[in-house]
Amino acid sequence: MNFPIEQAGQNAVVIRVGASLDFRNASDFKAIVQQQVDTGIRRFILDFSETNVLDSTGLGSIFSLHRNLSSSNGHVMFAAASRPVQVVVQLTRTYKVFRQFSSVEAAVQSLE
Amino acid sequence: MDVIRQHFNGVTGIVERLHALFDTWECGHSFFAGVEPDTIQLLRLAVHEWVANLVQHADFSGEEALITLEITPISGRLRCAIEDNSCGFPFRERIEYQRRTLTPFPERGMGLLLLNAATDIVEYAATGKGSNRLVFTVSSTADSCLDIPFS
Repeated sequence: MNFPIEQAGQNAVVIRVGASLDFRNASDFKAIVQQQVDTGIRRFILDFSETNVLDSTGLGSIFSLHRNLSSSNGHVMFAAASRPVQVVVQLTRTYKVFRQFSSVEAAVQSLE
Repeated sequence: MDVIRQHFNGVTGIVERLHALFDTWECGHSFFAGVEPDTIQLLRLAVHEWVANLVQHADFSGEEALITLEITPISGRLRCAIEDNSCGFPFRERIEYQRRTLTPFPERGMGLLLLNAATDIVEYAATGKGSNRLVFTVSSTADSCLDIPFS
């Protein structure tokens, strides 16, 4: 499974999560974001507009990215969270850690 | 009383089949009429976490996995029972172990905790017929949470 990536400014990318981020593809996600971190990307906008499934393993892969970025002042943002993703965010209170944006455009604008 | 009952043979592709069914049930099926959308999502999340646990960790002793999902709406809440023919495991002890060993921003080990947080009442027991049965209810009014350490 792939995760389409678009540049979004200096050291920033938008990653389209797609239909699911869970135990089936979390390792693919980790590998892809690690490639981006290795090239100097420090700001990640996760586009959840099409996501029907975000499970504990998927969330764990995002936590792994966050830990990876925290020492270099990077951060992860959630954009256009679908209802399933919003339920997970509320249940885990991860809005305390990851800024939430109603759209990818709003998240990109926040980078400026 | 309306009940959805779905049988699954084998774990190959079960998650895909499960979510395809949920997509169908959510789109115009009268079964979920009167149920809050977030309650349906909590159900979907809890079922997914349990099935993911079965796929990744359950011991079916070389037999084909036989899994039955049963969903019953009860006064705006949803009651779910999932029965399987695995060997079972110490459910409560495993949840307590996950809770005790949870580290900040954990990468793994949250699945049962997330299921527990998403549900009101959850019970797991052997049926005495060579299977184990998880039963839980969900409701979006419960306002529970999984207390993940962030530092």
